[in-house]
Amino acid sequence: MISPEQYPVLIVVIPLLSAFIINVIGWFRKGFSYPLIVLSLIITFYLSVSTLLQVVDGGAISYRLGGWPPPFGIEYVIDHLNALVLVVISFVSLAAAVFSKESVKKELPDRIPQYYTLFILLVTGLLGMTITGDAFNLYVLIEIAALTSYALIAFGRDRALVSSFNYVIMGTVGASFYLLGVGHLYIMTGSLNMGDLLSILPAISGSRAIFVAFLLIIVGIWTKMAFFPLHGWLPNAYTYAPTATGVLVAPLMTKVSVYIMIRLMFSVFSADYVFNTLNVHDIIVWMAVAAIIGGSLLALTQTDFRRMLTYLIVAEVGYMVGGVWLANSAGITGAILHILNDALMTLCLFLVAGIIYHKTRGHHLDDIRGLYRKMPFTMAAFTVGALSMIGVPPTVGFFSKWYLILGAIDAGQWGFMAALIISSLINAVLFFKVIEVGYFEPMHGHHDDGHHEVTIDEAPFSMLAPLYVIAVSLIVVGIYTSSIITNIIAHAVPKGL
Amino acid sequence: MIWQIDLMVLTLIVFCAFSAVMVKDLLSAAIIFGAYSFLMCLLWTEMGAVDVAFTEAAVGAGVSTIFMIAAIFRTSRSVKHRSRGRRFYKLIGFFAAAVTGMVLLYGQSDFPGWADPNSPASSHLSPYFITHTISDTAVPNIVTSVLADYRGFDTMFETAVIFTAGIAVIFVLRQYRRDQTDVAGTDEVAYQSPIIQTVSRQMVPFIQLFALYVVAHGHHSPGGGFQGGVILGASFILVGLSYDLRSVLKKMGEGPNIIFGNLGVFLYAGIGAVCILLGANFLDYSVLSRILPATDSVMARSHGILGVEIGVAIAVMAIMIAIYVNISSHGKYDKGL
Amino acid sequence: MDVIIASYNYWIYILLMMIGLYAMLSKNNLVKKIIGMSIFQAAIIVFYVSIGAKRGATIPIIEHGHGHGAAEHAVNVMNYVNPLPHVLMLTAIVVSVSTLGVALAIILGIHRRYGTVEEDEIMEKIQ
Repeated sequence: MISPEQYPVLIVVIPLLSAFIINVIGWFRKGFSYPLIVLSLIITFYLSVSTLLQVVDGGAISYRLGGWPPPFGIEYVIDHLNALVLVVISFVSLAAAVFSKESVKKELPDRIPQYYTLFILLVTGLLGMTITGDAFNLYVLIEIAALTSYALIAFGRDRALVSSFNYVIMGTVGASFYLLGVGHLYIMTGSLNMGDLLSILPAISGSRAIFVAFLLIIVGIWTKMAFFPLHGWLPNAYTYAPTATGVLVAPLMTKVSVYIMIRLMFSVFSADYVFNTLNVHDIIVWMAVAAIIGGSLLALTQTDFRRMLTYLIVAEVGYMVGGVWLANSAGITGAILHILNDALMTLCLFLVAGIIYHKTRGHHLDDIRGLYRKMPFTMAAFTVGALSMIGVPPTVGFFSKWYLILGAIDAGQWGFMAALIISSLINAVLFFKVIEVGYFEPMHGHHDDGHHEVTIDEAPFSMLAPLYVIAVSLIVVGIYTSSIITNIIAHAVPKGL
Repeated sequence: MIWQIDLMVLTLIVFCAFSAVMVKDLLSAAIIFGAYSFLMCLLWTEMGAVDVAFTEAAVGAGVSTIFMIAAIFRTSRSVKHRSRGRRFYKLIGFFAAAVTGMVLLYGQSDFPGWADPNSPASSHLSPYFITHTISDTAVPNIVTSVLADYRGFDTMFETAVIFTAGIAVIFVLRQYRRDQTDVAGTDEVAYQSPIIQTVSRQMVPFIQLFALYVVAHGHHSPGGGFQGGVILGASFILVGLSYDLRSVLKKMGEGPNIIFGNLGVFLYAGIGAVCILLGANFLDYSVLSRILPATDSVMARSHGILGVEIGVAIAVMAIMIAIYVNISSHGKYDKGL
Repeated sequence: MDVIIASYNYWIYILLMMIGLYAMLSKNNLVKKIIGMSIFQAAIIVFYVSIGAKRGATIPIIEHGHGHGAAEHAVNVMNYVNPLPHVLMLTAIVVSVSTLGVALAIILGIHRRYGTVEEDEIMEKIQ
């Protein structure tokens, strides 16, 4: 059998190979696409969990592709940080894939195999971005993830095509800036391997070109993650995307970009360079404050449930970026923990939005009226997700906010601390408004124009099962937070902060 | 390195870029963009990047321009003049471009000079590739050996990017139902010249033969899977341009084309996976010597490179055809341009 | 003069990037935006290939005779340009044509639905 040493590459290769299998078999038998994608994601999830366990037991793993030693060949480096992110990606995408069965059948009946091929290629791209230890390989995988998400978003409703086009423009600008930054690093060092760059860069840290490289890479990644002034493309793209796309893309894309930022900051430029030599963290923390407040306030003005969630994503990105740039271990711990937690919370809420859309053909706040009576199980899970978003204790949302606030106090960033608290209050207002509408207001006369009467009942099992797994994990992960931090995240925070 | 040519071509490139952006007629813009790409080829040949120039000639000046023209043909040709209302966007664009330019110029002041043999880029990694390519892989074309072996993993995903683009175009454009109304609805039959048809028909076999040579001879001369695949795809596109789309689809139907696209990338990733099954790391071709007759580990690498190049060529050919067919027929797979 | 030769390539790529970026952000016509995007991506390729240039060196194909063992003589690094940026840029060209294809497909989809590729007219139809 295949030895565990090969697991790191298999995490990426299994989904890639199954993309072709799904495409070809799906061309003949549409019905096989769904079981195949679920099967391959289960294998991927198993591989990434066992890789995480290997890392926890024996420290970072390095894998040489093609057998070439770094820096000449491409290297995979799996340490505590990206092993955790790999598990998050494979878990979330598995849940999203299981969920997608009914909604894809309903929304895209004649292009199911293509949809699932793109779906799993997107997962491949995200996994590859996370696992790689080579700056240029990262660019290629960013483009795979980007191209698939353009297409997956384009086939949504209303103005999905236009927002997808804007996403193409902004995504290309972001990726090109990243590529240009890597070019600056290459011209100054001659290397592309992250570990090699880390060892060369301190000697030339005063160089202007390196500063420009850092600027280009950071701005490029920020465009990808929709950090506040660059967030314009995100809300429309995620609101009008097909349900199954929203469920996959919304929890993962921004979180993986945050991971990429952390990886490049600490594994290419070194914590010493970004925090001590550059001394820009005050500005960036204030930008994060703007992101949190701006995102939350914009969310407050929305009347569409899913659109509201997209603005909350913008605010959550502010949490993570701000947390990293607090430049102390509590802040970075909080930011990394929030990658995990926010992926789960966003997934939970987008699953609920997806179920509501599936049943009512809308996700306006009006569509939610009276749903607590009609769909009690769905809305119960929604309540858990909402409490977590607000930051109520045993749920995960509380713990990452706790660490972020500790970090803010440590760093003396009172503005950031205030922003966190204000945003929690705004979230409370928002979600209690939704709960009030769903619980107390009477059922809305659904779709008066309707040629067929929609009777709303509980969602099918293939949608409820992943929702419940996620809702339960919001609490379970919350309870085990301290062991996650001591066993995994503590090793990922750079030493000496 | 002849810096006089370098300066001249670069100046012309700027003119082309400027006029491609400014000209009002989109078809002219596309043609100027083709010229821009072609000047790029000259520039890169001048700098010694023959493989890049070859790819740019096939991809940038060739199929990209055709895709653009097909898309313009399917939408509208002229740009409407706007005197008001765009000021805000112009300001943003101007501001972003100016800031980016200044930042880049600031960083540029630290660069080692152009074509400096002692720059870090030329002295850190690249000497290893130049001195070891023959002894490691027996491939004299260093670009091929780095592309398909040292950094073969990148190239696998590069092929996957092409594949993704093909599936994405099919996903977005393909119309399975007949009843959808088409705003663009152009139904006139294009004029078909017998001279062009005859000449193209005579040329296609030679083009395809040349493409196969480019794929097979990539070890020793510029070229390889990408260039060969694009040329193969272009030969089909030529048939589509001079005749109509139905004659392409008769030669290469939708189903076989998709299967070819999958097969190509699958071949690449599959060769990598075989290496794992034989007990080495992914894409470590040297281990293939165990199943290939009469090869040592160096020649096994050479053969492995050839295998993946063939996979790349198949995939790229199929996807280029798929993108062209979908764009030119608006996803209907009927008569094309 | 030496300063100009040493930096001319980099200045031009910066200029091309500015032209491309301006077109991407400011143009009203979607096809024009895409042309700007392609110019922008080609500018980056100019940058990378310029990194690989080396004075007095030839194309990166090892000179070799016919038959086996003909290429055994020592290879002088100074004689060949740096191949690594070329490899990276092959990838970048392929990525840019892929992006172009997907973007054009989306434009065609937009045209199918709204009947125009002018951004302001599309926005009017959405409202």
